[in-house]
Amino acid sequence: MIELKNVSFFYTGEQADAGVKDISLVFEEGKVVLLCGKSGCGKTTLTRLINGLIPHYYEGTLTGNVVVNGYLVADTALYKMAGIVGSVFQNPRSQFFNVDTDSELAFACENMGMPEEEVRRRMEYAVEELELGSLLGRSIFELSGGEKQKIACGSVSTLEPEVFVLDEPTSNLDMEGIALLKKVVAYWKANGKTVIIAEHRLNFLADLADRVIYLEDGKIAGDYDGVTFFGQQVSFYRDRGLRSPYLKDIWRQERYMPHLKDFCSLQGFYYSYGKPGSVLDIPKAEIPLGHVVAVVGKNGAGKTTLIRSICGLLKHDKGILGIRRKKLKARERLSICYMVMQDVNHQLFTESVLDEVLLSMGQKDQATAEWILDSLDLLEFKDMHPMSLSGGQKQRVAIASALTSDREIIVLDEPTSGLDFLHMQQVAEGIRTLQDKNRTIFIVTHDPEFIAACCTDILLMERGKLREQYPLDSEGMGKLKIFYGI
Amino acid sequence: MWAMMLQSRQGRAFLDPRTKMLLVITITSIVIGGGNGGAMNIIKPVLTAVPFLLFVVERKWKTAMTYVAVYIAAFSGELFLVPITRGFLNFIVVACCGMFSRFMPGIAMGSYLVSTTTVSEFMAAMERLGLPQKLTIPLSVMFRFFPTVGEEYSAIGDAMRMRGIHFGGGKPGKMLEYRMVPLMISCVKIGDELSAAALTRGLGASVKRTNICRIGFGVFDVLVMLICILGFCILIGNKCLG
Repeated sequence: MIELKNVSFFYTGEQADAGVKDISLVFEEGKVVLLCGKSGCGKTTLTRLINGLIPHYYEGTLTGNVVVNGYLVADTALYKMAGIVGSVFQNPRSQFFNVDTDSELAFACENMGMPEEEVRRRMEYAVEELELGSLLGRSIFELSGGEKQKIACGSVSTLEPEVFVLDEPTSNLDMEGIALLKKVVAYWKANGKTVIIAEHRLNFLADLADRVIYLEDGKIAGDYDGVTFFGQQVSFYRDRGLRSPYLKDIWRQERYMPHLKDFCSLQGFYYSYGKPGSVLDIPKAEIPLGHVVAVVGKNGAGKTTLIRSICGLLKHDKGILGIRRKKLKARERLSICYMVMQDVNHQLFTESVLDEVLLSMGQKDQATAEWILDSLDLLEFKDMHPMSLSGGQKQRVAIASALTSDREIIVLDEPTSGLDFLHMQQVAEGIRTLQDKNRTIFIVTHDPEFIAACCTDILLMERGKLREQYPLDSEGMGKLKIFYGI
Repeated sequence: MWAMMLQSRQGRAFLDPRTKMLLVITITSIVIGGGNGGAMNIIKPVLTAVPFLLFVVERKWKTAMTYVAVYIAAFSGELFLVPITRGFLNFIVVACCGMFSRFMPGIAMGSYLVSTTTVSEFMAAMERLGLPQKLTIPLSVMFRFFPTVGEEYSAIGDAMRMRGIHFGGGKPGKMLEYRMVPLMISCVKIGDELSAAALTRGLGASVKRTNICRIGFGVFDVLVMLICILGFCILIGNKCLG
């Protein structure tokens, strides 16, 4: 049993609203509990209070008591908590200490100083129970997102904790990956474990969660049993800024589709990473200019390779992109394309938001730059350092510099992973602004709700090939729903 | 059934991590700072060839070939180009060729160490060397970090190319800043998350860590160590004799 009594926590040196205020909760054993709410509502903080990262790792002022299975978290060393609470995090890149799967599975037990036979016995058990056999002996870098999260689950379950906390575990997963994770959660539930999940994507928990806690500004603003929560109308979730748990409810925003006769053409987009077998194999394709194209497909279908190739970022790339009677080779494409990367931290270079936008302008024109910042709700931050902004704001800065860059083709890689409803809407708004300025836009995404909000065309990829291409009219929407199985 | 798989996977690597570390130290100190003449003329080429042979053993053909090609180019540059050039050009040739032929072997050996050793093996090696946990944990975090820094570095490079920030763009001073600031920020962030994840998996417990990977010395380790010891003897001999 987990008990929080009048718990408040404020981080040192960060915005005051990121913490939690006066939380009192009791989690019963063997239940799956979903924590939801807008970004910054305190759901991640709550998971950290339970696994002991607060107060042992993150600094701040803590009042009140958190007791997990009889242990007062504040007085229990983190390595002891490791055996009581297993933690799975959002970012697969930074939660693995090892770079090979076997060592990662053994890691927690090794840290506890268990005898070698015991470590092997527990690994074997975890492998069998969570069906990890096919993932043994692999490098972490070659696993898909879903497989990585399975290994993360496996590596914490070797200590056989009674409680698991998961902090936005599906942020980087496709539908298949989510299904893998869902199976693991269901298995834990069936074995009487307590599972606490902080999530934006509610869909996969609809038939698993026994209880849902809705947080707002660090306080509990709703406490529902699973059946009640998942039985609500769409407006219930909208009012609370939550993603819709029922994807079949998503509707298509009517989009203006310019009927230009102009196309941009892809020719000879073949690519392989040195090994036999191509990861990209598109002999010919035509994309209407001024449209917003969602590039969809499973993890490993070649979506990222395709957009990197379009942008001219691949080496030894022979593909030709035709646009307005020009035939552009890879190197020439660098100057007509702009990519908003999945991790925007990689592409913000300057000391202020305004400089960032000016950097990508050919003719430096401050008035236009400020006007564009204003249209994306960024004007008040124009003198701030881009790195001091929140994740969503940083992304809008990147979109703003894409807008000012005068590039004809704009590419976005997973722009909505880990975003709540409101921020997803803002990104969709940004995309529409881009389209209104006659840009052709490619978006790699796993997010059907987002596609419905702003895309006009679908490119479906499968094993490096272009499997299907269709406009997102009402018929296209039906096809898309079939693809997502909703 | 998986037990068998788990057992067999943990077979020993070609060289023990400790041997690889010794090689890195030996090659860097002797090839870069070893001087010339006498037995150095034999031991230096031998040490230079070691990374090549190791890449071949690991079947990294492309890396092995690149290594050989660059080394030969630099070495022959030193041999043939230096005497026939003059002035500023001569300075450039001496600097480039000298740098490459001296630093390449050390860098190649370092990259071999990082790419063929798992974090777990590295930790086991450090523990066997009797180093305290206070030292082994930070060092292994560092070791874990090399590939990540590489990934981040190339992603930032992509972003810079796309925005048309490159050498010759007029602001060479800004180049370093544009690359280093995002790199440091994302490395700090990843490091922070990595530590949090490792701590929740019990890293840093006050008990003695177990390590299930098998490391140990074989015939090749002994052979390599003899070469290293011989190298150091010659190095010290040379320095003492003047």
